[in-house]
Order: sequence, then structure tokens, then C-alpha cells
Amino acid sequence: MGKLKFAILSFAHIHAWSYASVLKDLEKENEVEFVAVYDDDPERLKKAAEAYGVKQYSDYIRLLEVEKPDAVIVTSENAKHISQVLVACEKGIHVLCEKPIATTLKDADEMIRAVEKSGVKFQTAFVMRYHEVTVETKRIIDEGSIGEIVAITSTNHGKYPGLWFGDPDLAGGGAIMDHTVHNADLMRWYTKDEAKEVYAIYKKNIRDYLKVEDNALITIRFKKGVVASIDCSWSRPDSWPIWGDVYLGIFGTEGYIVVDAFRSFIILAPDKGAMTSRYFGTNPDYEMIKDFIRVIKEDDTPRATVYDGRQALEIALAAYKSLEKKAPVELPL
Amino acid sequence: MKRGVGLGKVKVVVHGLGFIALNHHLPSLKRMDDVEVSGVVSRNIEHAKKVARDYGARPYSSLEEAIEKEKPDIVVICTETFRHKGDALTSIEHGVNIFLEKPITLRLKDADDIINTAKKKGVKLMVGHVLRFWPEYVATKDMVDKGEIGNPVVARAYRYVSFPPWSFKRWHKDLEKSGGVFVDLSIHDVDFLRWVLGEVEEVFARGATVYEDTTAPVYMHALLKFKNGAIAYVDGSWLIPPTHPFYTYLEIAGTRGLLVVDNLTTAGLRVYLKDEVRCWTPVPRDGYYLELRSFINSVKKDLEPAITGEEARKSLEVTLAALKSFKENRPVKLPLEEEVI
Repeated sequence: MGKLKFAILSFAHIHAWSYASVLKDLEKENEVEFVAVYDDDPERLKKAAEAYGVKQYSDYIRLLEVEKPDAVIVTSENAKHISQVLVACEKGIHVLCEKPIATTLKDADEMIRAVEKSGVKFQTAFVMRYHEVTVETKRIIDEGSIGEIVAITSTNHGKYPGLWFGDPDLAGGGAIMDHTVHNADLMRWYTKDEAKEVYAIYKKNIRDYLKVEDNALITIRFKKGVVASIDCSWSRPDSWPIWGDVYLGIFGTEGYIVVDAFRSFIILAPDKGAMTSRYFGTNPDYEMIKDFIRVIKEDDTPRATVYDGRQALEIALAAYKSLEKKAPVELPL
Repeated sequence: MKRGVGLGKVKVVVHGLGFIALNHHLPSLKRMDDVEVSGVVSRNIEHAKKVARDYGARPYSSLEEAIEKEKPDIVVICTETFRHKGDALTSIEHGVNIFLEKPITLRLKDADDIINTAKKKGVKLMVGHVLRFWPEYVATKDMVDKGEIGNPVVARAYRYVSFPPWSFKRWHKDLEKSGGVFVDLSIHDVDFLRWVLGEVEEVFARGATVYEDTTAPVYMHALLKFKNGAIAYVDGSWLIPPTHPFYTYLEIAGTRGLLVVDNLTTAGLRVYLKDEVRCWTPVPRDGYYLELRSFINSVKKDLEPAITGEEARKSLEVTLAALKSFKENRPVKLPLEEEVI
């Protein structure tokens, strides 16, 4: 198999820009050919096409038919993933799909069926399975250095991302939908277990003008007994020097691990105005896309499958259901 | 019936000569010119004798005997939690003011007994919720009160300590004696958050006992809903290995800003020993000194103590609600209708 032809479907999700840069890097390594972009926002489409010197399409079906890419990266708004994924599957095109893969379990299950039927590779963009810090953590846990996992306390804090992330129809929710699934996925990966029960609380917003929740606290019990928590809040103000965090305190019977995946940054204090920062840790986007290519070429199973995408989504949806019921919610939903 | 102590030295008896007394309360009292530690009490008289020599006090193996002989103005009670009620009532019945370590008791009824008896006898009672005197927590409270983060919305607090095996074996692992990590340790953060955010209306908690011979949770986290509309996550653990220093973390996000403080990145001093790492910010008068100083002043000047029994009872109630939620796996509303331990 030679160079794989890639297209990116929508730059609605901010991660698309980083993925596109990775594709340009991989082009230089003769791994891929980045051929085209699609977007339903004309301005964004033009900007992306010009930035990366690729063809532009305002119709993704046409893009798939004309360019016949081997693989697509789906980075549209959460609720729009489903239609693009289904067409790609139908045409036998491999998919790397941004998280959360969908906004409802019905959509996620339909995606699973389409992936199974078509036999395409579908990888969920759980980029945290490719961060050196979290990968090393997986190795330390699996070798038994901290004994059995007892509890995991975690945060995926962020700023308010803006754009459509505050639109419940497109995002499927607010901070819970946006910032629960990465940590939920890491917990599933580390414990090799599924969530059994979810409870969540939320009372009022930090930013009262938002239509979606911008903070919440979630606690999870896994089937084999591990207790875990996720703070998914967009509780970082715009002036915060970094975007947010992925933090896990993992308490084992024989040891304790602190994962602070994006802590590796240099603070820059300008002569005036807010401090900023420069991150110097690993770029997991590169490793993730490179592994996606390997999975396609070697006909392997992705590290994070469509099913993993669904299971993490279910935990986020269970948190919403718990808020509604004001009680713990049993999984499966 | 003691009302104001007058000009002489304040006589103090310290009861319970464990970690907190030896490392904090006794050294703090020794630094106060207007205080005389006249007696120290331990059930182990040999231990009491040794400590008495260090502090120029008389040793006792019975609190009652110490009170009768020394006639102190104040008893500082640092015994194990399950002994608090008996020790507190003994002191109160003798008309002696008491500074009582946290948690006040393990049962609400016992806390009420102490509070009511103290009132009836006219003695002063303060419970050692030391964060209300701890520099970074005092500063945090001040920042929130001044509106620097706007209205508080979501808070997080961690408190992790690796347990000294000797103490753990003795009583902490027994639910009936310590209440477990949330009642014993996280009560600090609960009390602090109540001080800043007001009353809690509902609690949900999860935890783990981990060891076969342990009935007390050694790890627990709780989700708290406050009446003012804020929410908080409180995390307590005795599960960190001794290679990790004592750790506390606090953040509060509000409508106008976020504040974050933890004891490791803000430590003015880090000391690495062979088997221990200590990180802290030394100040001339630390929280332990200031809480005792505050109580002694309230006794001398006949003022209401800074942390009343009622306050301590409310913080206890929240931690017991967490324990109840852990046991019953459901959100628990306050006030509690019945005992949990």
C-alpha cells in the first residue's frame, strides 16, 4: 500500500487545524497525500484550503466521489458526525472521528453497525491514548507497580471554547459532552472495565449567558469496584495561561500515580497583559494519526475503536440523565 | 463557672499525647508567655512522664485527677475521636473550658451533649478546625469575601496523607473509632468550604475500605451541593505512599475569576529526608498556634470562641452524610435525621 489519500471533513472542531498540520508533516514523510477539505462554512473552507494548499468542497459527498480518499478525518460539529461517517462507511473509506463520536447512543449505535457492515477502519480520536504521559501510565499500571487500582480522581478543565460548543443542538450539550469522554476513556483503558453507575451534580453556570452547562462534577463506579470522578468544567477564565488540563490521580493498593498530561509548559509573562505559555510535551495528535495510518496499512484494530467512542459517550449521557433524575444512573442506559 | 481568667497565667492541661499534641499544640503553648502547661495526661503514665519532663508539667494517667489537682482554666483534648465525648464531658462537668480536636465527635447526639452541657455549665468550647487559621485558607476566604472571584460556582479540595502505620493499626482503620478518612481528614475541607460557601444541602459520596481488616473508608470523594448554588468536590485519601508529602489542593471558580492554591507548589520550604518529604510554608505563627491563641484570648476576655461547637457539629454532619451516602449509594439531604456511626 502506497501513500494514503486523506481528506478532512469540516474545520468546525478546532482540533482540525492541528490534524491538518500533522497531515502536512506526514506528507513530507511520504506517508500520506492530503488532498482536500470540506466545510459547510464558506469562509472557513476557503481559509483551510488556502492554509494547506488543498482542494475545497462545499459538498462532502462530492468530495468523497471525486477525490476517492482512502481515509477521512471527521471534525465537524458533534451532531453532524453521523451523516458524514455513514457516507464514508458506505463508500469504504476509513474514518478517524473526533470525540464525542455522536450526541446520542442511537447515532453511535448506527455508526457501529455501519462500520461493522462496511469493514472500514474507524478510529475514535481519543488522542489521550497517544500522549506519552498517559501511555507510560498504562504501562506502569499494567506491569502492576501500583497494585490494584482503587480510585481515580480526574479533571479535564478548560476555557469556554466558544463557537458552536455553546449550541446544544450542534454540540449535544456543554462541558459534560465536551470534557467527560477523554477521561472516561482513559479510565476504561486503565481499569479494563466498564462503568456501572454514574452520578453528577450541577447547579448554575460560571458564565450566565450560556445556553449549556459550563461546569459539572461527575462520579462513576466501575463494575469491578473502582470509584472515579471527573470534573469536566470549563472553569478556566480566558486569562488562564494554558488551555486547561488532563489530570488524573490514580490511587492503587501499592502506589499512587499523578498524571498531569499538559503540565509541561513554560510560562511567558509579557511586559503587559495576560501571561501565556508554551507547551513542550509530546504532541499526541501526530502519534494518533500515524497509528491510524498503520492500522489501515496493517489491517489492525484501532487502539480506540468506534465501540470505545460509544462507551465513553454513554458515560457522558448518563451524567446528563443523572442530573435530570437527581439520582445515580445504572449503565447500560 | 469560669468567666474571664484575669491577669495571671492561663493554666492548661493537655490530654492525649499523640502526634498533634507533641508536634503542634504543646510546642505552640510553650511559646505563649501567658500560658502555663501545668499537666499532661496520657493513659500510658511512662509516656506522660517523659512529655512532662520536656514541658515542665506534672504527668497524669487520668484526666479527672489532673483536673482535680491542677484546677486548669483550659483542657486541650487531643485523644482519639471515639474518646472525645467522655473526655469533653469530664472537663465540662468540672467547669473547665475545652479546646477539642476535630472531629468534635462521631455522633450528632454526642456533639449535642457536649454543646449543651458546656452551655449549661457556662464553659467555653472550641473545636480545632485549624484551616480557619491556616494562612492560605485565611487568604482564600478573604479573597472570596472581597468578591475577587465574583460569585463562587464550583470548588475542588483534596487532602492526602500517607498514614503512619503505628497510628493506622491502632484506631484509624476502625470505622467506629475514627469515622474513616472523610470524617477524620476531609472534615477540614468540608468545614472550610462551609465557612466560605455556607451550608450544604445535599451530599453524594463514593469510597473504598481497601484492606480486609479495615472497616473505615481509606479513600473517599464527595460531591456537595450548597444552598447558595455552588457545588464542590472534596477528595480525601490515606492511600498515598510515604514517599509522597502531605498534599492539599484547593480551587474555587467563580463568575469573575478562578483561584488555585496547593501546598506543594506554594511551599516556601521543601525538606527531603531519607524516608520522608515535607513541604510547607513556615510562618512565625502557624494555624495551630493561632487557633489556640484565639481560644485562650476568648477565655481570658470572656468572648465567644471563633469556632463554636455548633459549627463543628454542622461540619461533622456533612461528613456523616457523606459516609451515609457511601454506605447507601444515594444522595443524602441535610439535616440528617439519624446517626450514621
